[in-house]
Amino acid sequence: MRKVGIVGMGTTKFKARWVDKTYYELAFDAARMAMEDAGLSRLDIDCAVYGIYNDLFQRQYQPDAFVHDYLGLGLKPMVRVNSGGATGGAALRIGYAEVASGLYDICLVLGVEKCADCYNYEFQSATPEVLRAILYTADMTYDNPAGRTAASGFALAVIAHREKYGNPTDEQMAKVSVKNHFNATKNPIAQSPKVLTVEEVLNSKKIVEPFRFYDNCLYTEGSSAVILASEEVARKISPKPVWITGVGASTDYVIPGNRPNIHTFESSRLAAQKAYGMAGLTHPLEDLDLAELHDAFTGTEIMAYEDCFFCEEGQGGRLIDEGVVMAGGKLPVNLSGGLIGCGHAVGATGIMQTYEVALQLRGEAGERQVENARRGLVQSIGGTLCTWTVCLVLEREG
Amino acid sequence: MNEQEREKWYAFEHQKYGIPIEYLKREFEKELSGQVPMDQPLEIPDKMEVIYKYSYGQQSRFFRELRENKKIYGAKCPQCSKVYCPPRAHCSLCYQPTEWVPLTGTGVIKTFTVQYISTSAFIKKVPFVCAYVQLDGTDFLLMANMEVEDVARIRVGTKVKAVFREERQGTITDFYFEPYE
Repeated sequence: MRKVGIVGMGTTKFKARWVDKTYYELAFDAARMAMEDAGLSRLDIDCAVYGIYNDLFQRQYQPDAFVHDYLGLGLKPMVRVNSGGATGGAALRIGYAEVASGLYDICLVLGVEKCADCYNYEFQSATPEVLRAILYTADMTYDNPAGRTAASGFALAVIAHREKYGNPTDEQMAKVSVKNHFNATKNPIAQSPKVLTVEEVLNSKKIVEPFRFYDNCLYTEGSSAVILASEEVARKISPKPVWITGVGASTDYVIPGNRPNIHTFESSRLAAQKAYGMAGLTHPLEDLDLAELHDAFTGTEIMAYEDCFFCEEGQGGRLIDEGVVMAGGKLPVNLSGGLIGCGHAVGATGIMQTYEVALQLRGEAGERQVENARRGLVQSIGGTLCTWTVCLVLEREG
Repeated sequence: MNEQEREKWYAFEHQKYGIPIEYLKREFEKELSGQVPMDQPLEIPDKMEVIYKYSYGQQSRFFRELRENKKIYGAKCPQCSKVYCPPRAHCSLCYQPTEWVPLTGTGVIKTFTVQYISTSAFIKKVPFVCAYVQLDGTDFLLMANMEVEDVARIRVGTKVKAVFREERQGTITDFYFEPYE
C-alpha cells in the first residue's frame, strides 16, 4: 500500500440553514477551497468520493451524481458513501483506499448535507420533519413504528452505561456541552459558539432522558472537502502534507437488541484498536496531541473516551471532571466545537473534523491551536446506536 | 400575484401536499405579495411520497399471530437454542432455519429513555417511553413503545407485559407494554 497524504482542504461555514445555496452549490464552495489550497484545478482530480447521508434531506436520490456534474468532474470515476453519522469518516476511508491501492493518485473526498429543507408547516419548525427523515434509517418493520429518534437510540445506550458504571452523570455531560460550545467560540466556521455554564445546560429543557437541549448536536447545513494524494504526488505539490497513518473501521449489529452489550459501542472499540495498530500507537492518551470525536450527544462523547482507550471502561466521566479533554489539557477533544458546537452536517461532519485536525497539524488553527501538535485522531460514528465507526490517525512530518 | 392568483396558488398547494391553507398563508404571504426582491432565495413546498405493498416474507406468521390471535411468537434456532424476538427466518450465528415458539408476552426492561421531543408522526404523544425489553424466553432485545401514564415509574429492571390493542393491523404496534407487579 502507498502512503496517503492530505494536500488540500476546504470547508464552508456550518450553519443551521443555507437558504441561499443548494447542496451542490455548497459542495462547489468546499471543493473550490480545497483545490485552491492544494494549488490544483478540477483537471488534476483523478476520482472523487462523496459523503452524503440522507436522500430525503437533499430531496434528491443519487445526489452524488449532481454534485459530480456541478464540479465539472464528469467522465471521472466517483462513488458515494452513506454510513449515517459516520458518512464523512467512511468517505475518507474509501478515498484513502482509492489512493493507497495505487488505483488513483489524486482523490477528492467531499461531504455535503442540507437537512433543514425538511420542514413541518404545522409546527413551523424543521425539527420534527428532520427527525422523521432520519427515522427512516431505523429498522422499518420493528423499530421505526416505535417512534424512536436518533437521540433516544443513543440515550438508551447512555442509560445502560450509567446503570452499569454510575456515569456519565448529568453534571459530567453538562461539562462536555460547556467545553464544546466554548471551543466553538474560537472556530470561525462554527454554528453555535456559546459561553455557557453547567447550570445553564442543566436548566435547559429535556429532549430525551437523560439529554437536555444543550446535550444534543445541531442540525447543520454545510460542506467540507479534502484532497488526498499518493506520497510521491503529495511531496511534489504540497509544502506540508498531513499523512493518514491509521485507518480503522467496524460495523456493529444494526439491530441493537442483537448485541451482547448495549452499554458500550463495540464497533468504536474495534475501529480505534485497528487504527492505533496501523499507526503503531500504543498509549493513545500519551501518543495523541488532540482528538475530534463524534459528540452527537454529550453522553456519547464521554463513552467515546473509553471506546478510544483514553481511559479504562467506565472511567470516561473522570476525564471531563479532571479537565484532561479540555483545551490546554493533556488530550484536548473537539477543539472545533465538535458536533455540539461546530455543527453536524452529517455527510460533511467527519470531513470537517479531519479538516480541523489537519489544520492543527499544519499549525494553522489560529486561536485554538495546540502547541506543536504532531498526531491527532478523528472518530466518526453513525447509524442506529453506533452501527458504524471509522477512526483515522493523522500525523505531520517531523 | 393578485389576490385571485394567490388564492389559486394556496388551493393548488393545499390539494397537492395536504398542507392546511392557513399554514401556507402564514409561510408564503410575503413571497406571493411580491415583497421579496427577485434575487432572494425562493422557497416552495414539496413532498416525497411512495405507496407500497410490502411482504413480511418468512416473518409473516409473526404478524398474523399478532393480528388474529393476540399472540407473540419468537424464532428459535434448533442448533444453538437462541430465541429471537423480533423473529428471523434464520439464526444469524448458526445459519440454521429457525422454528416458531410461543412467548408469554412478559419481559423485563434492559434500558429505556423518555422522549420529550419526537418526529412529526409522534410529537403529539410526548412524553413517552421507548425501551429495550427482553421478553421472557428470548435471548435478544425488542424495541418497545410503552404506554404508561407516569413515565417516572419506568426503571431498568421493571417487569412489563404486552397488552394488545382492540384494533390490530398486523404491525409491531398491535401491542404495547405496561409495567406489572
